[in-house]
Amino acid sequence: MENNAIKATQTKAKTIRKKPLKIFKLSHKLHKWLMLFIGAQFVIWSVTGAYMVFFDIDYIHGDSLIVSPQSKIKAENLTYSSLALFQHYPRAKNLSVGMLINREVYRFNIAKQAFIIDAQNGEPLSPLNKSTAMNIAKHLYTGDGEVLNAKLITTNPHFGLSARHLPVWQVNFDNFASPSLYISVNNGKVVSKRHQLWYLFDWMFRLHIMDYGDDEDVSNWLLFFITSLAFFAVFSGLILTYFKVIKPIIISGRKNRDSAKKVRRKKTLSFGDKS
Amino acid sequence: MMPWIKKIHQWASLLIGLQILIWVTSGLIFNVIDHKKARGNAYRQTVIAEQSTLANQARLPVESVLKLYPATLELNQVSILAQPYYLLTQKQALYRHFVNSYHIVDAITGELTLVDEPFAKAIAKASYNGPGNIKSVALIAPPIADFLKNKNPSWQINFADDLATSVYVEQGSGRLVGHSNSDKRFADFFFMLHFMDYGSVGSFNTIQMILFAFITLWLMLSGLIWTLHILRKGQYRLKNF
Repeated sequence: MENNAIKATQTKAKTIRKKPLKIFKLSHKLHKWLMLFIGAQFVIWSVTGAYMVFFDIDYIHGDSLIVSPQSKIKAENLTYSSLALFQHYPRAKNLSVGMLINREVYRFNIAKQAFIIDAQNGEPLSPLNKSTAMNIAKHLYTGDGEVLNAKLITTNPHFGLSARHLPVWQVNFDNFASPSLYISVNNGKVVSKRHQLWYLFDWMFRLHIMDYGDDEDVSNWLLFFITSLAFFAVFSGLILTYFKVIKPIIISGRKNRDSAKKVRRKKTLSFGDKS
Repeated sequence: MMPWIKKIHQWASLLIGLQILIWVTSGLIFNVIDHKKARGNAYRQTVIAEQSTLANQARLPVESVLKLYPATLELNQVSILAQPYYLLTQKQALYRHFVNSYHIVDAITGELTLVDEPFAKAIAKASYNGPGNIKSVALIAPPIADFLKNKNPSWQINFADDLATSVYVEQGSGRLVGHSNSDKRFADFFFMLHFMDYGSVGSFNTIQMILFAFITLWLMLSGLIWTLHILRKGQYRLKNF
């Protein structure tokens, strides 16, 4: 009799728990096997993602490498008049007046070519020579390092530099992560700034989007395939979290409440007995 | 040691499991969406940066303009709606979308020009080739939900079309900030989720993101060790599958 009663409660418990157990078992298998094959990519996603969010993106972009100078134009220094300029360069377009370190300059284009002219004496300053480029870079650079060297890039820029900026002077500084400023030869402006952590960031991004070609394409089939599997791997993982973490908390919470109730009931009963 | 690894994995998954699902789902969406559409430029046409045919000498000489505006950092000849202007930069940041300050001066009359509502509407319309008409206009102070990175007050010109296109024109400079529409907003929503930018600050270097990335490292490392453990114990058997 007693045995039968135990059996009955056991089967009852089984029938109640049968369905959730099936989901648990399926999720367990799915999570275990999927992660065997794509778990490595999860590690790559978390490491590359962490790199990208831990380092401030403005720092990665090199924004802290240069100042934006606020030196104002003194109109009285424009002793070479714009009229004289237009007479000398009748095809000048997109004229601008600005500063080059601390002197007033005219910048303009003729066809697609950019020019800089000293606004005090009309002397052409472009194409910039090496020492001027180095002076500009030193003037704008925020670090304390010295200039290591400068080199002229006219063709075949490396992948971090857009071809439309050419020609440029690459000025290298002696500081952490090897910062470089790129100064346009024809207009004297900083067109790009890079340091090693930027190149590392670029690699992290490629690994993050699983692009092993060289066009930084997020819409690649490898990513689609792995991410689709990853969805099921994560979903099954969440089901395991429910069974292994959330449900035990609920059950133990309920047990605690029940036992607390029982204790309370006992206490009230004993009080009742006394009275 | 293994019990600890398992505990770390389970508790980390409780803390950030839902966000991991959001990361994977939004990642999958970036993979499949049409990135050209997501740029929001469906009804944008390039305004040919046509320099007005006006001869340089017909403009006010730059020296006289600069004398009137002594706090100028840079003067640029620009054309807005094919009319010649001088754009005077009064405060210059590293990028145009950072906080800058400008004056716009008519290059013929020397008159200080403000980008008011009709002017902004005209600039927006010139960049738009869709079927809609202007529905509403508003001057928006940053943050601008469609362009969180732009820190300058801008006119929002809304068009009544199938994509709910909005065109943004910077108040200070008359520059076209860009177009936005429902396709771009759809993608932006998932970027917000992927970057955990729940405060809409337009950045992924936020405290919650850094914290979650840190916990993710623990989750993935413990998962990796657990998988290797199962492998070593020979518990990956096809029979068990």
